[in-house]
Amino acid sequence: MKERLEQMKCRVRDREHKSLRQDVKLDICEECEAEELSWPRRMARITEKMCEAERPVILPDEQIVFTRTVKGVPGAPMPKDVQARLDAEGKRTGWGAGNICCDWGMPLSQGLLGRREVAERTRHRLANDADAVEFLDAAIQTIDAVLGLVARYAEEARKQGRDDLVAILEQVPARPPRTFHQALQSHRFMHAAVWMSGSVHVGLGRLDQYMWPYLKADLDAGRLTTEQAEELLAEFFIGLNKDTDLYPGVQQGDNGQSLMLGGVTREGNDAVNPLTWMVLRVSHDVNMIDPKINLRVNRNTDIDLLTEAARLTRRGLGFPQYANDEVVIPGLAAHGYDLEDARDYTVAACWEFIIPGRGMDAPGAGAMSFPAATDKAIREGLAAGDTFEQILERTRLNIRQQVQAHVNRWKRSTVGVPAPYYSVLMTDCLEQGRDVTDGGAKYYNHGIHGAGSSNAVDALAAVKKFVFTEQSVAPDELLRALAANFENDEPLRQKLFNEGPKLGNDDSVNSLLTVLFDLFAEACEEIQDNGRGGIVRAGTGTAMYYIWLAKKPEEGDMAEPGVGATADGRHAGDFFSSSLAPSPGVKVRGPISILQAFSNIDYQRVCNGGPITMELSDTVFRDEEAVRKVAMLVRTFAMLGCQQLQLNTLNVKVLQDAKQHPERHRDLIVRVWGWSGYFCELDEPYQDHIIARHSFAL
Amino acid sequence: MGIVFDIKEFAVHDGPGIRTTVFLKGCPLRCAWCHNPEGFSPEPQVMTGPAGTRTVGQTYSSDELAARLNQLAEVLQANEGGVTFSGGEPLLQAGFVAEVIDRLDHLHVLLDTCGHASEQDFRLVVSRSDLVFYDLKLMNPVEHRRWTGADNTKILRNLDVLSGMDVPFVVRVPLVPGVTDTDENVAAVAERIRGLPGLRRVDLLPYNKGAGGKYKACGMDFRPSYDESAKPRVNPAPFEGAGIEVHVR
Repeated sequence: MKERLEQMKCRVRDREHKSLRQDVKLDICEECEAEELSWPRRMARITEKMCEAERPVILPDEQIVFTRTVKGVPGAPMPKDVQARLDAEGKRTGWGAGNICCDWGMPLSQGLLGRREVAERTRHRLANDADAVEFLDAAIQTIDAVLGLVARYAEEARKQGRDDLVAILEQVPARPPRTFHQALQSHRFMHAAVWMSGSVHVGLGRLDQYMWPYLKADLDAGRLTTEQAEELLAEFFIGLNKDTDLYPGVQQGDNGQSLMLGGVTREGNDAVNPLTWMVLRVSHDVNMIDPKINLRVNRNTDIDLLTEAARLTRRGLGFPQYANDEVVIPGLAAHGYDLEDARDYTVAACWEFIIPGRGMDAPGAGAMSFPAATDKAIREGLAAGDTFEQILERTRLNIRQQVQAHVNRWKRSTVGVPAPYYSVLMTDCLEQGRDVTDGGAKYYNHGIHGAGSSNAVDALAAVKKFVFTEQSVAPDELLRALAANFENDEPLRQKLFNEGPKLGNDDSVNSLLTVLFDLFAEACEEIQDNGRGGIVRAGTGTAMYYIWLAKKPEEGDMAEPGVGATADGRHAGDFFSSSLAPSPGVKVRGPISILQAFSNIDYQRVCNGGPITMELSDTVFRDEEAVRKVAMLVRTFAMLGCQQLQLNTLNVKVLQDAKQHPERHRDLIVRVWGWSGYFCELDEPYQDHIIARHSFAL
Repeated sequence: MGIVFDIKEFAVHDGPGIRTTVFLKGCPLRCAWCHNPEGFSPEPQVMTGPAGTRTVGQTYSSDELAARLNQLAEVLQANEGGVTFSGGEPLLQAGFVAEVIDRLDHLHVLLDTCGHASEQDFRLVVSRSDLVFYDLKLMNPVEHRRWTGADNTKILRNLDVLSGMDVPFVVRVPLVPGVTDTDENVAAVAERIRGLPGLRRVDLLPYNKGAGGKYKACGMDFRPSYDESAKPRVNPAPFEGAGIEVHVR
């Protein structure tokens, strides 16, 4: 990267722009009540206030501008009458537009003034529909607010003698961009303004698709070289890291700025283009947490493209994350998504499959705890003298009960918080005169994470083997040990943990995984309406539930059930695996066996998303040949029919944790020289040596 | 029956493509720089590390091991890979390894060997292999005995057998500081292999600190009498001079 960008990156990473932040308190509740503003108008008002409060910041070396100076994401002052109605119906506060993705290509190509014209036309057509008019007026108000902010930026640019920026800001985001540079600037304003309008987790979608026409035109006309384009893209990416501390999430960085690359077009043609490659290269060079790169692949994806992606994996940022088109597209189609939409999928904040512009899905609307479902079945079943098949039947009912409980909760929360500005950027909301949270979108499905599957499978497999097949453990003995958290039964725990069959290295266990996810899918498929006119999708992710749901029932503060010690030899309180991975601490055969194990899930029925998660030591990536083999591993993932994959390169923090807690990292393999060994079997000085070496590499 | 101390999936540094590497337990040599001390003894043994103890050395019938390897056949074939037999020294269990290979499902086989074996055992396995990684450590027989516990007579004889067998091979030279990395030794290796039919290239493997990592877990001391902290001398010139492709790993 050029010196200019390196400096910019350092400034952003050190958050120097924090000194520009103003302490503005925006409270519009009183005036909204006094003026008796409708809810959409309140959301427009707060957007307007946020835009007005911004102080333009243009730094001398910036070619793409906008730095937020007002902290926070504004709240939603719900009108009293809406609150009263909810109370009367025994319902809860509504849900907001978040964790979705705009139809970015559309507002870019129309410009905000183009969107404003659409709103005006619809308003004229639906003049007798009071709700539509109210929504459209609110939407127009937000467009004007954003354009007002941009006008002040143009003014500041003029003051600074930045004629280059003045020309750009007079064009975008009001009008369609004429260049790649203008397109990136337009996107920067439109995207950042979504947070300022009160929404969070704003995805970037298929950037290589909607930005490519602008880049291609520049390259074809000789207006821009590839090098110049990469520099602009790098600056755009650095810009995405400016405000991350203002965006709420479970942890900083959990902000939903996910970007999807590759795949197929809505017509089903190969969508990889030179910008796909450029994003991978630039992301590698920028080396920051945002944007989070995803790549759509299939078994025939160019191995050179996968190798470029593997170079990015080597960076240790934990991305790209891969999704398999061959599995995801038919899976979405089977869940009622139109084929063209299914082909257009991207991911929400983490991994959940959503449709840009058209999906108002809530794909992370809770979790189903597999370990709680199986553990309850095991304890009650063994106490009642069940057969193994009867325990499975109890598991089925428990899973169903958890899914039903979610749906019942959602049905109490049916009102969406209006999102007039977000709606401007979504497909057909202005055209229909309907807010994205009120019928303007096409899809309103829910997704439930299926958490802790490997521990649950291992627990069932242990019971099957030791209690039923071998009869080497008596039901009473196991029940006592579970109740006491193995306090006086360490040998039994060791037996369950070390000698029990484990997911990832035993085919009979792998087939139990299929059974569990089928039961989960069946429970979700039973739901005709999630309360918002959508269905319920079963998923394989966990988000933070692998920690939250590992709490004991009496300690949990979640809607979902907790669980104590489990029959796979897990102590109460020990975490589950994140998304799809063998149970923590279990020694398994290796990456290919793990892929094979998780290829057993029927992803046509389980399509909410959630990646197989694997950590590779960065010592794997010794040379280009090895990088190419990581690319082959990704191709294998596609070939085996898996759905989603996250490859992490281990960093020094993990190694240090492995030193402190070797029991958690028994599978951690490090390359020491012309050989590999289990990190935890190395003597301390050698561990230190490797930790030191990694530190230098950072 | 055979005894194995590890099976490593997705071995990216043990030959072409995606491979599964089988580490056979037991070795006739005792190289001072060996990083796999659990490969010395052909018997099961207990290793004790910070993560607890585990028994190293699992016995397999040739059917069992072949079945385990064939499970990944489709993946290995699709990725230009196959199975690597390493150790220890796989030729110490030549009959077993040959039986396993005969049961593999059309998989590319790489033999990683020190060459210290009878000609009969050597031919038995090499004739079933698609590629051989052949270690040459020291040309001087006295030095060889001093550092590995055996002289290199069999190794050099099998090198000639190998070059007459029409199986491609790669010569691998570990560069241990002050032991094998000397100009004299490297030049002698280059001279010895110059023009051998079947030789594809030479891999030079520079020594890094860390070879002793697993000794304590095996209940052994690691006390190298060479200077572990010295940087090995990497000199590909003699090989290039002999017209041999050379890689530094």
